[in-house]
Amino acid sequence: MGESGALQLSNLNKKFTVEGEKISIIENVNLTVSPGEFISIIGPSGCGKTTLLRMIIGLESDYEGDIILAGKKLNGPSLNRGVVFQDHRLLPWLTIEKNVGLGLEGKKYARNRKQIIQDHLELVGLRGFEKAYPYQLSGGMAQRASIARALVNRPEILLLDEPLGALDALTRMYMQQELEKIWQQEGGITMIMVTHDVEEAIYLSDKVVIMSNRPGKLKKTIPVPLARPRDRASYDFIKIKEEVLREFHLQAEHQFSYAI
Amino acid sequence: MNVPEVKIRVNYNEGKVEPLKEVIEASPSNSLGNAAVLGWRILLDSFNIFPGPLPGIVLRLGDKALGLIVPLLLFLAWDLVTRYELTPPQLLPLPKQVAVTFLDMVRSGELLVNLKISLLRVTAGFFAGSFTGLVLGTAMGLSKKIESYVGPLFHSIRQVPLLGWIPLLILWLGMGETFKVFFIAIGAFYAMTLNTFQGIRDVPGEYLEVARVFEYNRLQLFRKIVFPAALPSILTGVRIGLSLSWFLLVGAEFTGASEGIGYSIAWARQIFQTDVVIAGVFVIGVIGLLMDRVVTLLEGYLLRWRRKTFTA
Amino acid sequence: MSTKAISLTQLQEKVRTITLPLIVLLVWWVVSHREIVSPHFLPRPETVVGAFFTLVEEGILSFNLKMSFTRVISGFLLGISFGLVLGIAMGLSRTVEKLLRPLFDAVRQVPMLGFIPLIILWCGVNETSKVVFIAIGAYYSVVLNTFEGIRSVKKEYLEVAQVFEFGRFNLLRKFVLPAALPSILTGLRLGLSKSWMLVVGAELFTATKGGIGSMMAEGREQWRMEIVFVGIIIVGLVGFVLDQLLKVLEGRLLRWRKAID
Repeated sequence: MGESGALQLSNLNKKFTVEGEKISIIENVNLTVSPGEFISIIGPSGCGKTTLLRMIIGLESDYEGDIILAGKKLNGPSLNRGVVFQDHRLLPWLTIEKNVGLGLEGKKYARNRKQIIQDHLELVGLRGFEKAYPYQLSGGMAQRASIARALVNRPEILLLDEPLGALDALTRMYMQQELEKIWQQEGGITMIMVTHDVEEAIYLSDKVVIMSNRPGKLKKTIPVPLARPRDRASYDFIKIKEEVLREFHLQAEHQFSYAI
Repeated sequence: MNVPEVKIRVNYNEGKVEPLKEVIEASPSNSLGNAAVLGWRILLDSFNIFPGPLPGIVLRLGDKALGLIVPLLLFLAWDLVTRYELTPPQLLPLPKQVAVTFLDMVRSGELLVNLKISLLRVTAGFFAGSFTGLVLGTAMGLSKKIESYVGPLFHSIRQVPLLGWIPLLILWLGMGETFKVFFIAIGAFYAMTLNTFQGIRDVPGEYLEVARVFEYNRLQLFRKIVFPAALPSILTGVRIGLSLSWFLLVGAEFTGASEGIGYSIAWARQIFQTDVVIAGVFVIGVIGLLMDRVVTLLEGYLLRWRRKTFTA
Repeated sequence: MSTKAISLTQLQEKVRTITLPLIVLLVWWVVSHREIVSPHFLPRPETVVGAFFTLVEEGILSFNLKMSFTRVISGFLLGISFGLVLGIAMGLSRTVEKLLRPLFDAVRQVPMLGFIPLIILWCGVNETSKVVFIAIGAYYSVVLNTFEGIRSVKKEYLEVAQVFEFGRFNLLRKFVLPAALPSILTGLRLGLSKSWMLVVGAELFTATKGGIGSMMAEGREQWRMEIVFVGIIIVGLVGFVLDQLLKVLEGRLLRWRKAID
């Protein structure tokens, strides 16, 4: 059977019915993700990338085609897939500690539950904030807590829906480094991230998957064979950025002419 | 029961029921077995509040019809219980007798006379109270100074439950019309003062900046910005005030009156005319509903600039 | 400089706050002492204060308050237990909502006092009828606010629950009820203040022995204006204190909410 963390999307089609008319949202999507890979799905807003991710999470039904994780066909959400939403979705009435512990609810981890939570708070750099309530955290900290919450169950795959979209530019760059660090430390976890930030996608991913608009189709997959940690100002980085932007018929900013 | 055959589908994502164009399931006979299965499925499905994927179910009852089931059952129970005299008839008359009594009250003009008097009292009290409330609320809303003079006293007096004023007002004003109108006015006064004040204070600062850009004077500012922005809240005050006034009218007429709808109910109670009491309660309920509807219509007209967020 | 300015405005604010009450007191004092209005209509302030102490010393006040409290508490508890059940059931199930909401809304149109004659006919002039009547007041507010609270639980939170594979019971306990709690507590507060008003009403409108409302009614019948005055002040104060108590409870239970005020 399939290897843990291996994801296979085959012939995915999804339509929404709007006022009696069927509109195709996702059309003929095929994608193979190897275990431990970091994949970004990037596309213009409204292209269906979030819908695609929600299908993988299991929050969307009513589609054609198969989503196969580790050899098994998906049916609804499951704890083997962790999710980080764009808005952190921490429950405001629980402390950070309890929010992170949500995924351990009623599971047999009970004995070392506290330790698991501690380890994950440590991992995302939130030690000392166990008893804080969500409103007391900044946006970046809340998003880290939400990442910790998604990871406590040791999911095979982590699905990130524009996880850094709501953060300011500086916090965002910092969080990108953190995310990369977490991905490396969690060793072997597959990550799929939806984003509209080209630089973020290239900085983090092994492969950048580009989606086209209406209907959402996978247009092109661009591998990023750069050593980590990556240098956003390096020639190779900018070349890949240009290649991605070309797909959107955009010109890259001519930063590299100064860099030479 | 003549229920129109409408096929509908429960959309859990948006929490509404929508008519179905194509028929998902062929609906065979309406045998008891089918009905039972359908009933269980509806019940089971209905206890799921997940917005996620759920199979659509075909309901054969319209929404409205569903709401009639319990009242009809209650009515049936009432009819049966009284028909077989399981309860003393002087405590619970036959439904038919209530209907006959109601028609008698209408025909003899008794109901109309009493209603007219009650409505006159409510109208007088409501307008007096809400106008005063509108003025005070506006003054307190526009001026922080006035608020700090009047606010604390207003709020501490408001702590006294409305019905608690009855003994004092009767001693001061007697049992006559003045007492009733004044008492009714209190409810409308509170509701209007609070909602007008809150509405004016909640006008977004951004709008006030717009007014400054256009160099509006005070009158223009009030007419063009503050009042329209506070209107939704003021209308809420009208709605609450009107229903409070109606509530207080019943209280006032219980205390001391020789006519009015509240009085006729209280009197009927003392002479054990339960049919009159039930008919009377029905009438005051319907009037309360009509008042609420009128305010809703008014709101719909005055606030037509508001985007509809909720479609009930 | 600036601190001084602030304290000055604060002082100004305090002065403004007490100005009007002081004027009212002064007018009251002058009018009653000069007997511009007959003492039958307006007792002297010191008579009211004296009456208060007499009522306290003779134990009349505490006796009546105890009677009213007993009624309010039993009625309130009865009302909220039914209200919570119906509110939760209607909130969770659209079928229950469709079955019961129209009836609930229709009955709600009847002003609560309108039910007094019916309740008296059916339950008699006794404690039961008063408790039932008080319960109705708490019941409406709790049903409506519980229902609204559950229905306005954000879909986003429910998706989180789905991702973590929560069962129905845990979903209700961990997500739905905490999210609906602010609204439920608002319902309880409204319900308690309605119950308090209705206990006064019930005691006024039905011949009753004991209770703060009947104390006022007796005061009125005996033209003891000062007792009516004491009654009004006490009724207002108790209502205020009850509301504050629930506010404290609210603050404790809703610590996780950012303080808005």
